Amino acid sequence: MSDTSSVSRPERGRGIGTLAELRSIVTLPVELGMRLFDPPMRWVQRMIGARRMAYVFLLPNFVFFGLFVFLPIGINIVFSVTGGTALFPSQRPYVGSDQFAYLFDCGSYLDPATCREDHFWRAVANTVKFVVLQVTAMVLLSLVTALVLNMRIRGRGFFRAVYFFPVLLSPVVVALIWKWILQRDGLLNAAITTLGGQKIIFFVDPSWAMFWAVFVSVWAHMGFYTLILLAGLQAIPADLYEAAEMDATPRWRVLTHITLPLLWPNMIVVIVLALIKGAQTFDEVFVLTGGGPGTATLMVVQYIYETGFSSQVQNFGLAAAASVVLGIVLFVLTLLQFAAARRKEI
Amino acid sequence: MAELKLTSARKSFGSIDVLHGIDLAVRDGEFVVFVGPSGCGKSTLLRLIAGLENVTSGEIHIDGERVTHLPASERGLAMVFQSYALYPHMSVRKNMGFALENMGLKPAEIEARVARAAAMLRLTDYLDRKPKALSGGQRQRVAIGRAIVRDPKIFLFDEPLSNLDAELRVATRKELASLHAGLGGTMIYVTHDQVEAMTLADRIVVLNAGRIEQVGTPLELYNRPANAFVAGFIGSPRMNFLPAVVVSDDGTLRLTVGEVEVALPRPASGLAAGASVTLGIRPEHIEIAPGDGMLAAKIDLLEQLGGETFVYATAPGLPQITLRQDGQSHFHRGDAVAIRFAPDHLHIFDAAGAALARP
Repeated sequence: MSDTSSVSRPERGRGIGTLAELRSIVTLPVELGMRLFDPPMRWVQRMIGARRMAYVFLLPNFVFFGLFVFLPIGINIVFSVTGGTALFPSQRPYVGSDQFAYLFDCGSYLDPATCREDHFWRAVANTVKFVVLQVTAMVLLSLVTALVLNMRIRGRGFFRAVYFFPVLLSPVVVALIWKWILQRDGLLNAAITTLGGQKIIFFVDPSWAMFWAVFVSVWAHMGFYTLILLAGLQAIPADLYEAAEMDATPRWRVLTHITLPLLWPNMIVVIVLALIKGAQTFDEVFVLTGGGPGTATLMVVQYIYETGFSSQVQNFGLAAAASVVLGIVLFVLTLLQFAAARRKEI
Repeated sequence: MAELKLTSARKSFGSIDVLHGIDLAVRDGEFVVFVGPSGCGKSTLLRLIAGLENVTSGEIHIDGERVTHLPASERGLAMVFQSYALYPHMSVRKNMGFALENMGLKPAEIEARVARAAAMLRLTDYLDRKPKALSGGQRQRVAIGRAIVRDPKIFLFDEPLSNLDAELRVATRKELASLHAGLGGTMIYVTHDQVEAMTLADRIVVLNAGRIEQVGTPLELYNRPANAFVAGFIGSPRMNFLPAVVVSDDGTLRLTVGEVEVALPRPASGLAAGASVTLGIRPEHIEIAPGDGMLAAKIDLLEQLGGETFVYATAPGLPQITLRQDGQSHFHRGDAVAIRFAPDHLHIFDAAGAALARP
């Protein structure tokens, strides 16, 4: 008996020892860090008081944001009010609002050809067109998909995953997949010719190019918005539907008088988020169409990129001014989203 | 208003049987309360009647018409939900008129019906408010109003008072009773609160583990419970159950209760000597006698409520006994007392828990 226990004890001891060792290895850097930081932090707390310590803990993040977000915004604003081709702000002459005046010098804002910087206004018109089409299609399709995925259908979990899957892909990957499908000798044209049709060269037709830019964008992002709407649908208490059933409510009236009004706060969030995302569209459309044919799918962000970095004369000032304009539009949209989020509670 | 008849109504969820064949007839204008512990199937039974769940087998008839497989929207019933289930984005007026709009009534008729129900439920001043701007009691009244305006065949209530505080619950209970007296409709009401059941019901249906234990008027259930479950469920504080052994049953039933022998004059019921039975006695049917009595006991605890006193006492070989005394008690914890049962109010349950016929 004693032999057995004397054999088993060291084994158990080794097991515990291994676990403890592993734990100490994992926690060692944390403990070392704590010991390293403890004396200076105590000193700081003594100097400034416990209440102000919150700012000390916020400081690293603030420095990070300052360096990589606020500082570039500031530099961008400096570039937007200075001219020339020099890179360093100190070498750039101050031009005030000249860049903005140049951007906004238009005979008619509805006709880009009358604008001095017609590329910018073509990009604005394309972006507005893209956003209107994309957001409308996105919201409607996301809503229908969410309504269907909220029903008790066979394979519901599978379909929920399938619709969300494109969201996980990089925009460039999405665009390359669809470019492969849509190109002259792509999968879609192969299918069309197999069925006896003629090849369509999608990306030389402005309407087709815009259509596919919208389609691919909707395909890539719909899962995310569907998820938001699905969460909204699932948050509607089931007993409201039972009450509607007891009230002998026809199905279309359940949709229009109960589901949609209760889903409206989520719809607002989806619409505003989709607007913000749509206004910033660049990578997918750029990889898919390159902004063409001509300027048919040139978006504002692509205009900024090309004006600042890829044109022969790298006009940082004009690109920065366009960025400021886009930034203001996005800021207004973000305020709208915050307002919508605050009104979410019924 | 309508009659309801359930015939062998059974409900299973997968392999789990929730209701095991319910047979029940509810008369026109009757207020029937389903009562039972959590999980007994009372809400499921209500939902079967409503049409919100399908029966696994069996039949449901309303006014002689078979509605077993009719959807809820075609049964002509109204339901008041535990959560009220008010449409949060609609005003009180819209909530109450929504079902009438579905019925295709003219706006003037809808307005008149809503106004009438609102006046009855003291909601006239709140018609333009949204539910979130109402108190719990007001929301409950809107939920009831939503049912009233439809003039349904049967009103169904699923634990409608359980979200209210104690004071409001008592007030709303009284309002419901007077509403039933005023409307005269058939009402089926689910609760786990036996006080609600006793005060509201014309008849109570006691459910346990998916079966009906007993159906009867509140006082029938209180005075003549069919079994130990009903006896224990109806009445607060609950009935005392004391294990006993039959000594003889020959015109006088002699039982050993704890360490004493008790003789009860009653007709022979065929109990064999040595059989185990349970003696049931309600707290108000036990007296504390300073001198001699059936059992010698010691007081463990007193709860003085002013108008009445609950006394908890222990006798050798028996579980703790609860007694109710009118007024305020002069006894103290630790006092040795003798307790005496009122023989006319003793219930005897056999080993399976079924009540033996009382003389």
